[in-house]
Amino acid sequence: MTAYRLPAGGLIDRSHTLAFSFDGKSLSGHAGDTLASALLANDRLLVGRSFKYHRPRGIVTAGPSEPNALVTVGSGVRRDPNTKATVAELYDGLVATSQNRWPSLAFDIGAVNGLMARFLSAGFYYKTFMWPAAFWEKVYEPLIRRAAGLGRTDLSPDPDSYEKSWAHCDLLVVGSGPAGLAAALVAARSGLRVILAEQDFALGGTLLSETTRLDGEAPYIFARRVLDELQNSPNVTLLPRTTVFGWYDDNVFGALERVQKHGAAVDAVKPVERLWRIVAKHAILASGAEERPLVFGGNDRPGVMTASAAATYANRFGVAAGKAVAIFTNGASGYRTARDLAAQGIGIAALIDSRPDAAEAAPAGVRLIRGGSIIDTRGGAGLRGIVADRGGFEDLIACDAVAMSGGWSPVIHLACQRGGRPVWSDALQAFLAPDVGAGLVPAGAAAGQYRLSACFEDGARKAADIVEALGRQAAGFQAPVVGEEPDPSFTALWHVPGAKSKAFVDFQNDVHLGDLGLAVREGFGHVEHAKRYTTGGMATDQGKLGNINAIGILAAMRGVSPAEVGTTTFRPFYTPVSFGALAGTSVGGHAMPVRRSPLHGWAARNGATFIEAGLWYRSSWFAKGEEKTWRESVDREVRSVRENAGLCDVSTLGKIEVFGPDAAEFLNRLYCNPLLKLPVGKARYGLMLREDGMVFDDGTVSRLGEAHFLITTTTAMAGGVLSHMEFAAQVLWPQLRVRFLSVSDQWAQMSIAGPKARVILQSIVEDDISHAAFPFLAAREVRLKGNLKGRLFRISFSGELAYELAVPAGYGEAVADALMRAGLPHGMCAYGVEALNVLRIEKGHVTHAELDGRVTPDDAGLGHMMGTGKADFIGKRLSNRFGLTAADRAQLVGLKALEADQEMRAGAHLLKDGAKPSTINDQGWVSSACFSPTLRMPIALAFLKSGRERYGEKIVVWDRLRGVETMAEVCHPVFVDPDNSKLTA
Amino acid sequence: MAYDYHAVHALDGTIGAIAERRANHLAVHRATAMAMVLASPGRVPEAAGILVANGDFEVRFSGPGEWLVLSEVHAPETLAAELGVRLGDAAFVIDQSHGRVALTLTGPDAARILANGVAVDLHADSFPVGRAANVLCHHISVNLARTSAQSFDLVVMRSFAEALVDDIKVMARSHDLSVDFATR
Repeated sequence: MTAYRLPAGGLIDRSHTLAFSFDGKSLSGHAGDTLASALLANDRLLVGRSFKYHRPRGIVTAGPSEPNALVTVGSGVRRDPNTKATVAELYDGLVATSQNRWPSLAFDIGAVNGLMARFLSAGFYYKTFMWPAAFWEKVYEPLIRRAAGLGRTDLSPDPDSYEKSWAHCDLLVVGSGPAGLAAALVAARSGLRVILAEQDFALGGTLLSETTRLDGEAPYIFARRVLDELQNSPNVTLLPRTTVFGWYDDNVFGALERVQKHGAAVDAVKPVERLWRIVAKHAILASGAEERPLVFGGNDRPGVMTASAAATYANRFGVAAGKAVAIFTNGASGYRTARDLAAQGIGIAALIDSRPDAAEAAPAGVRLIRGGSIIDTRGGAGLRGIVADRGGFEDLIACDAVAMSGGWSPVIHLACQRGGRPVWSDALQAFLAPDVGAGLVPAGAAAGQYRLSACFEDGARKAADIVEALGRQAAGFQAPVVGEEPDPSFTALWHVPGAKSKAFVDFQNDVHLGDLGLAVREGFGHVEHAKRYTTGGMATDQGKLGNINAIGILAAMRGVSPAEVGTTTFRPFYTPVSFGALAGTSVGGHAMPVRRSPLHGWAARNGATFIEAGLWYRSSWFAKGEEKTWRESVDREVRSVRENAGLCDVSTLGKIEVFGPDAAEFLNRLYCNPLLKLPVGKARYGLMLREDGMVFDDGTVSRLGEAHFLITTTTAMAGGVLSHMEFAAQVLWPQLRVRFLSVSDQWAQMSIAGPKARVILQSIVEDDISHAAFPFLAAREVRLKGNLKGRLFRISFSGELAYELAVPAGYGEAVADALMRAGLPHGMCAYGVEALNVLRIEKGHVTHAELDGRVTPDDAGLGHMMGTGKADFIGKRLSNRFGLTAADRAQLVGLKALEADQEMRAGAHLLKDGAKPSTINDQGWVSSACFSPTLRMPIALAFLKSGRERYGEKIVVWDRLRGVETMAEVCHPVFVDPDNSKLTA
Repeated sequence: MAYDYHAVHALDGTIGAIAERRANHLAVHRATAMAMVLASPGRVPEAAGILVANGDFEVRFSGPGEWLVLSEVHAPETLAAELGVRLGDAAFVIDQSHGRVALTLTGPDAARILANGVAVDLHADSFPVGRAANVLCHHISVNLARTSAQSFDLVVMRSFAEALVDDIKVMARSHDLSVDFATR
């Protein structure tokens, strides 16, 4: 074939030459070219190898539905595989590489697959690679993936950045062709906020390649005038290079803007792609129509393209697809293409019309074959001729390109992404968008209005309807006078009978007519089955081009209407979207926010090692002096708390203040234990259940006033408890007069624990906090020396004499410093969450390691807390379920290692001594484990079947993950101070 | 031993000095007094009637019957008390001066910068001066208020303040932004 640049014409800037390379060969094009048009201008039509048979493939379209011309653009880490050459904007220095060929595009070893075709029919891998089963993952799939597949991505980190933005408008217009421009103009003049999105780099849609004159001028001149007006309207946003790929709930549209994909240099402060989420009151789908290929023998040979593509390359890009173009059509469009090509001086080998009778006339001097067809093509990697058939007479016609027109399909993808199914139109022989309501309305060719005049009228009218629906006066739009237009009708031709070689239905997936026949014969005739069986309609093009013919063929084979066959399901994305754009800026340190405790600076100054706890960074331990391992630090911190005192940051606990005359009743229903009689100035441990009777969260409830409470939650469940409370207040008991607010961030909170806690604390607190004045579980506001107000709670997680002091967050560091100074002579240390964890395990206190959602209060040894006398509380009813009260439920116990050097790990299973290590013999599990510096041995908290009856039993702790078995003795879960004498000291 | 406690700002040590303000500027307020007001059940209109901005403080919508009150006049210690006296038992008042951080984003691109993280329509017709809403900015909850055509206040929970400022810097990376503590 011999494609070439026409001497004149097109919307390219011939004074501006751009250098690019394809497979290492230097080529040149012009500004305004796509990569595809520039390749054609350089007579490079062979651009890829097909997926399965590695057949040579050329450019088929001039738009986003391109199945063949998928290339890798860029090099190194900036490499975009599967870029459609037909939409890739040419730029100076563009480096493109062909895909799916080895060692080279011209000579590809994989093409041997073509010779094996009879063994590689549809579904071949399901049949061939079935045995042995284990081979699928390890051998067959990797092999198939290497042999087939398209481009390869670069696995190093993406050097570029992306962005996600929100936009809002009254009207989103998808597509900037005649219908889109008319709609946008009417809406803009009527004062609506308008966004006009166009996937192409140039706005104008088909007006850029159309030759029918508007107001006596070339259509692009009209388009430019409209665009100038839109550009100058402050209420209009034009988004070229932006593909609207998805339609979501609440009329939110996803759109991908290619911000910096059309140049070799990348400006680092800008994203390369921007993902828009467009919230539109209304949207008009002016996405046009797609020309169908024809399914004839040898239709995949490079040089065969759609008629509209051949016309677009000639009219918009000034490129001839060949010197002698054969046109094969089933309707008027082929005649229009013939006229367009003839007008550009491009030779036409023949015009073959599948219809025996048609009113249209071929341009003068063009050989017209009515009632004819193409049954085969000749040539190698380039077309040299076709075999035409008319009434059984074969005719070999020399040509170097074929322009095929199989009729038109409205592009309705977006309108069918939310469950609506396309509707078959017998009149148009096409699927149309279903009525999906006023939010998204198709217009112009997307609505089956193929004539230019109808497109203008339809777009303008539908926009005017929207303007009026929004309560405004619609402005006028004077449609241009449209020159002579051909009748857009065609006679459906799903496949051309008598093919002498493979007739491809889906170019990208190498699905041909025979594959569909096989699918129907083997019982996969349903359109969704046929897709999976043949792979037709999969991969990057998702059947945009080929599906309609596949449906027509299936319908014909089954003897039904295409309406009955229906389409496969349309889903986002319309065209592929990079993962980078979907992630936006939420990568690296911005993947999730970090929460900082108000005592973070204090902890850092005291040498804390931090650990991620949800969004928080909590101080884990505070290494001192010669300590080399975390255990050394933690053991010292624990001993210091037990013997002297320690200070720990507990600011991350959730804190919620609850107000109102019904606050006590509200909390009484939320917690399983009674709270109505909690006196003012006192705190109580509280347990919340889920409706199913399992423990939801635990914390403390302090009554600061008759109708004023402060509750704490665990760090992890702070958000969950707050929304649980909102649900209870708004939905379950709206009649309760209660108000609440999270105050977690207002307070820096520190735990001061240890026998010397009181004396240290008293030195900075003005008020009397002696045991008599401030007994166990006291909770009230105190005044610190220096006239600072705080809240003090005498509660203990460690089992020691302990307080929690809360001060306004900004003062946290200063107060913690003051306490550390006051504690210095008493041997007080800072301790982290690791030591806190050891201290609470020693005391048998539970956390979410124990309260894992499968545990009832009784399982955790807290059954006595259940306020069974209360009328109701969340979880009460289902707590009596059979199974939740069974005697052999796993109950919280303590474990002591029999050997001091045998550590236990959380997650280990418990087995009876002598039982075979197997989950069949499972008796329970270890929930928390540590080395106890106090007992000088490894200890653990565990859940064991009927555990409370089994104290003293020797049991096997089986850690299958690490292959360790240890012996332990079952004991009461409170290892330290079981009679609580320290708390009340 | 002297007990003279100095308050630490959540963003102390995280914001470097700037040579000059850029076209768009994010000002971090050091000492804005803030309180949340929750209307007593059934007394929303009454509380709203008392809570009329008067130059001493500003009132921002924060939810049905809930307002965020800010003041540059009152000290953090006195704002809640002052509001408590005014509102009596019509509302509950909770001091949040230490629990939140107030930021002001000003500049010709302010709304465009925010659109990189906030889903709410910030067009002046939809979000006029005086409007406030609790919104998500990326993953972070923020009380957002428009204070002028080109200026927005963002009030964020203290523990998220550093992450929010980091996010806004990224949101504004192609919009010429400077960040500094407010001079007042």
